[in-house]
Amino acid sequence: MAEAHQESTSSAGDFDLSQFYQIFFEEAAENLDLMEQMLLSLNLETADDEELNGIFRCAHSVKGGAATFGFSDVAELTHQMESLLDRLRRHELQPNSAMVDVLLESADAGRGLLARHQAGGEGDAPPTADLVRRIKALVAGEMVQTLPSAAPQQPLPTPVVASATVAAQSKAVLAPTPPPSNTTRSLEIRIGPLDHPAQADAIKELFRDIEGLGDITVVACNQADTRVFAVETSSTDADLLDLFAFHVSREQVSIKEVDNVAVAPETRYGIFDGAAGSPETSLYDDPPPGAPLAPPPGFGFFDGAPGAPVPVASATGVAAGSSGSTASARAVAKVASPVVQPEAATIRVAISKVDQLINLVGELVITQAMLAQNSRALDPALYQQLLTGLTDLDRNTRDLQESVMSIRMIPMSIVFSRFPRMLRDLANKLGKKVDFVTQGEATELDKGLVEKITDPLTHLVRNSCDHGIEMPADRVRAGKSETGTITLSAAHQGGSIVIEVRDDGHGMSREKILAKARERGMDVSDQMTDSEVWMLIFAPGFSTAEVVTDVSGRGVGMDVVKRNIAALNGTVEIDSAEGYGMKVSIRLPLTLAIMDGMSVGVGDEVYILPLSSVVESFQVKSDAVSTVGQGAQLVKVRDEYMPVIELEKVFQVPRFDFDKSSDIMVVIEADGSRVALLVDELLGQQQVVVKNLESNYRKVPNISGATILGDGKVALILDTGALVRRSRH
Amino acid sequence: MSLILAVDDSPSMRKMVSFTLTGAGYQVVEAVDGVDAYEKAQAQSFDLVLTDQNMPRLDGLGLTRKLRDHPQFKMVPILVLTTESSDLMKQAGRAAGATGWLVKPFDPARLLEVIKKVIK
Repeated sequence: MAEAHQESTSSAGDFDLSQFYQIFFEEAAENLDLMEQMLLSLNLETADDEELNGIFRCAHSVKGGAATFGFSDVAELTHQMESLLDRLRRHELQPNSAMVDVLLESADAGRGLLARHQAGGEGDAPPTADLVRRIKALVAGEMVQTLPSAAPQQPLPTPVVASATVAAQSKAVLAPTPPPSNTTRSLEIRIGPLDHPAQADAIKELFRDIEGLGDITVVACNQADTRVFAVETSSTDADLLDLFAFHVSREQVSIKEVDNVAVAPETRYGIFDGAAGSPETSLYDDPPPGAPLAPPPGFGFFDGAPGAPVPVASATGVAAGSSGSTASARAVAKVASPVVQPEAATIRVAISKVDQLINLVGELVITQAMLAQNSRALDPALYQQLLTGLTDLDRNTRDLQESVMSIRMIPMSIVFSRFPRMLRDLANKLGKKVDFVTQGEATELDKGLVEKITDPLTHLVRNSCDHGIEMPADRVRAGKSETGTITLSAAHQGGSIVIEVRDDGHGMSREKILAKARERGMDVSDQMTDSEVWMLIFAPGFSTAEVVTDVSGRGVGMDVVKRNIAALNGTVEIDSAEGYGMKVSIRLPLTLAIMDGMSVGVGDEVYILPLSSVVESFQVKSDAVSTVGQGAQLVKVRDEYMPVIELEKVFQVPRFDFDKSSDIMVVIEADGSRVALLVDELLGQQQVVVKNLESNYRKVPNISGATILGDGKVALILDTGALVRRSRH
Repeated sequence: MSLILAVDDSPSMRKMVSFTLTGAGYQVVEAVDGVDAYEKAQAQSFDLVLTDQNMPRLDGLGLTRKLRDHPQFKMVPILVLTTESSDLMKQAGRAAGATGWLVKPFDPARLLEVIKKVIK
């Protein structure tokens, strides 16, 4: 075994840690996100240990990883965050919103730093100096000088004896006295040259015997006749020298103050003398190469602990009163809390693999449909077994499809979680008070949709906060509570998901919108229904905001929101009551990969219309269609004229049977307008698996995708938005 | 072939440690926190336990105490990985029955160096 280790140690320096970077980046991002969530939900007055420990652990994990993998800027920043969080979880400081602010900003900066490392160090690093300064100021808030590494679990007890004042002595942990005004100092004490270095060990014992004197650690030293100790004490140099005088002469002692223990080179490891499992030699006399001289080595073994190496040289027995140590050990051990479950229950898979799986299942569904169609001609009496098998296949395929689709489904909480932070910043900026409520966070949505819905939702939530919610004074005047509420909810309704953004602000004014619309030369009338009026705000460039803020109100937006949602085959509706608030509802299909379609026939071709955009269909009488300038046709439906699009002409469908002509109209709605499509026949409704045409062929105007029908034929899916836009020209 | 139980809640640290150790010819069993580690320690014995200190559910020292209560683990070396190197931490480590400590961050070479000192 020993030889094998020898070998591996020599090659250990060549370890390439970069192979773990990606895992670290993902893990760090998760930790920062989790920390942000927990900070946002933290109640400053009633913050409990579990929450504070959870937040601490996030920073702690990021710091540990960053330091290990050599991202020193991230490690330094998170180290500062950790110091502050450490004092919070030890209840040495009371959390306040300034701390939450700086921690949130630091988390952002940390993300920025990580993103930069992830991109290979390109781009500017976000500035962190100011954050570090602010955190330090907050950490120092109550104590002039802090020693995070020596900070006890409880406030330091007050000094009782002049020469033996108190420091981080574990027995004192239980004393509920307030922190003393004098502070613990970190000292490096060199004793030597000595004729018998063991004399110095008496010094070590002093610290053990005199309760409250402080903590002492042996530091590696390359001079045989000198002993170096790292001491944390609140006693003065003079007091210490007086004490030491019993054992060594004053001239042999030199005391030097080490100003910052936390960043000074630390003990890298240690093995307690006599501890269980310790090696045969004492590491104190054999410092690892390159270990700093002042303060101690980098690891340690405990004297006398099970498995510890047999102590030699200066080992003088078991250190420190064990009852005291146990008390402090328990206190340290308390830091754990079950905030994050280990990730053992999930696996990370590349999205491309999932997509491939979905594609394959899509193919399977098509094959199954083809089999089902072909089997219809079979005689059930003769082929009973085959038909039973096909029925089973049908059911299994559908179950399989459902399960596979659910892999891509992610909960809305992924989207919702970004809003508390955004709203908090926004409300602060605007001087408003806003509560954010979410409902149905567990509602699942296709990952592709989630990514695309985030921006429109962000826009709507911003709008609600900026334009909807009034200033606190105005709200009180209107008889409402000072704090406004913005509610974001998600729920399944049939085959769709409905996402609503509600606020209890001042709502929209019908008059203002109509006035603004007239000003912009839009065609409006006082007879329009409320919902028609509300839809006006989706017109490009429309804004009724009196002041254009840097948050929103430039009038670019609502039209973009509508367009983005329409691109997902979704719809938007607005409801508002002036003085009481407004509600924007977005209805989306559950997934982009499967769509409810209506198949229509034109000549020998079959086209699919997204069912969500189909309004109605009817047989048209020839006198209902009128031709206006340049051959454009209009159809009159219940006193309303709408443009007619002949699919036959748009797609130049060859027609062999001239007796037959298109006389069916299908009204579709997209981008807020309606057009009537002229088709030969309605073939029925069905679920279709959407295939991307662009990636498999090329972009085709007026076509959004393709699908394979039950009989194996390819049918094109119409891009209703494009058709409607076409009719406008 | 020495068998090492590597306990860390951070996947990246766990991977790094386990890669380093397996590369050096040790066999490694990973655990995601103290509770998981304790359960794994019930099922088989190890030549060394290498545990992170700060973990959810059960931390490194808590795990050490529980293992030391177990006759099978009375003398097995237990190394605690910690970012703290304060004396308080060390006292706590000693009291819990840990064999030694190793301060994070460390490089793989240092880890192997320390392990070599304690493993029989």
